[in-house]
Amino acid sequence: MNANAATAAPAPALVRRAGRLDTLVALVRRELWEHRSLWICALVVEGLLAVSLLIGHINMDLPDRVLTAQQKVALFTIAEWALAQPVFLVTSIVVGFYLLDCLYSERKDRSILFWKSLPLSDQLTVGSKFLVAAVIVPLGVFVLATAADLVFAAILALRIPEALSWSTYEWLRTELVLLLECVLGVLWYSPIAGALLLFSAWIPRNPILWASLVPVVAPIVERVGLGTHYIWDFERYRLNGIWHHLMLGPNVFNNFHSLPPVGVVLDTLNVRGAFADVDLWLGVAAALTMVYAAARVRRYRGDG
Amino acid sequence: MTAVIEARGLAKSYGATRALDGVSFSVEPGRIVGLIGPNGAGKTTALKAILGLTSFAGELRVLGLDPRSQRDELMRDVCFIADVAVLPRWLRVAQAIEFVAHVHPRFDRSVAENFLAKTDIKRGSRVGQLSKGMVTQLHLALILAIDARLLVLDEPTLGLDLLYRRQFYDTLLNDYFDKERTILLTTHQVEEVEQLFTDVIFINHGHFTLNAPVEELGSRYQQLTVSSEQAARARELKPFYEREIFGRVAMYFEGRTAAELGAYGELRTPSIADLFVAKMQGASST
Repeated sequence: MNANAATAAPAPALVRRAGRLDTLVALVRRELWEHRSLWICALVVEGLLAVSLLIGHINMDLPDRVLTAQQKVALFTIAEWALAQPVFLVTSIVVGFYLLDCLYSERKDRSILFWKSLPLSDQLTVGSKFLVAAVIVPLGVFVLATAADLVFAAILALRIPEALSWSTYEWLRTELVLLLECVLGVLWYSPIAGALLLFSAWIPRNPILWASLVPVVAPIVERVGLGTHYIWDFERYRLNGIWHHLMLGPNVFNNFHSLPPVGVVLDTLNVRGAFADVDLWLGVAAALTMVYAAARVRRYRGDG
Repeated sequence: MTAVIEARGLAKSYGATRALDGVSFSVEPGRIVGLIGPNGAGKTTALKAILGLTSFAGELRVLGLDPRSQRDELMRDVCFIADVAVLPRWLRVAQAIEFVAHVHPRFDRSVAENFLAKTDIKRGSRVGQLSKGMVTQLHLALILAIDARLLVLDEPTLGLDLLYRRQFYDTLLNDYFDKERTILLTTHQVEEVEQLFTDVIFINHGHFTLNAPVEELGSRYQQLTVSSEQAARARELKPFYEREIFGRVAMYFEGRTAAELGAYGELRTPSIADLFVAKMQGASST
């Protein structure tokens, strides 16, 4: 019998090499099909903001009655910057829940056995989920926020023309500040993302409960048991430790008479310091390690 | 000829329970193997080991690859349906085809489309909106469009009505199976599919109690139906199991000839279902 010789060389017409990139794109699209909240929530936030700017009451209680041209541009950039924050904040929370859920839900509905019946490695699958959380969604939200800022600018020009004035140059600088925030935020918070993904792969039941309990209980246990507060300090540092580089503190904008546009932080900000921060890259390394660990844990998941 | 599956001393324990107790077997290409056993006999564990879904001890080669270390490579040539419920509820029919087409190098979209055209399944429906039978049809459409060398089916028709079950196996046999493919199948509904098998493996308590091509069963096993008066004399030939049917006694023998048994009563080859019951009951009564 030479049946095996025939099977060893399958019809070449059928064997289309599904490239790794093609597979990765399909995996990313899959995530956006399944977790529609990743993009719906962002659209809803921007929609609500647009509607409330259109029909809401805008209270302009400014120290100066007549604004200078510089003040108007500065107020415009501050409004644009501030209006872009909610979508980033909401999406971060949505992404957190997504990461906690994505590897757990496939076990819960047993669809993991379907995904595992396809030639998809654990590394590529888990990697695609991290890619969605750390690159695709943040980038998408940044593009959305930039587009939405144009809409907001148009609405504000209609509603309070006396208070704001458009400057293309300052608008671009404001968006650049937002992009920097977005990139630094993703890099700095990536270990949290990695940890959530690992929790999702690892915790047999209710990863959301564990992910909320551990960071709260651990510092309390340390405080009560040892009298120290290293865990608490570490958690606080990991939540806020990067933003001082950007110097987006309120003191820059204290003096209303010489109010600068948001873009001014680009002149003073410590980009090199931010990206040379050792802790930033240690965090990224920790994140990638945890993503790798999550893929390893998924290897024999679905066995039960 | 290289075996599709080659196992030596395959073992797996869950705590104190030995789900697989060092079994050895091989499956040749172009066979349809029925893996039959009661619940908790080790069927699913054996399949999971073959599919690289669980760790195990012993030696196992599937298409020449080790499922533990070469799973990613293996899954290009192996396909499986684990259970009817594993397609995620949120997935749309069109998305399912789109996704598999992009990630599987051996997926032929037109085969899946043609198969679905014969059903009532709408492209825009989500899996959660389909009936259980339709979900299986969809899963089958996806699997049949993959040019795999080994197809593993673990209770694929569980919870389906007779019509869908019959359709499932007809499609499998007529549209999919050929001499180059191998199908490994577990099911509880042995009677319905026994004419499908080329080989049967009986598994109980992690051991294989039978592993034989179907065509050999006739020469190895005999079912003798005798009147109760003849039963005592026939019993001297040591049946491994017997049961009473309408006042007559059905006895099951291994390795006897028609010449030895023919004189006592009606002789025939036991069905796989009967043989399974005889083997399982016989083992527990001795």
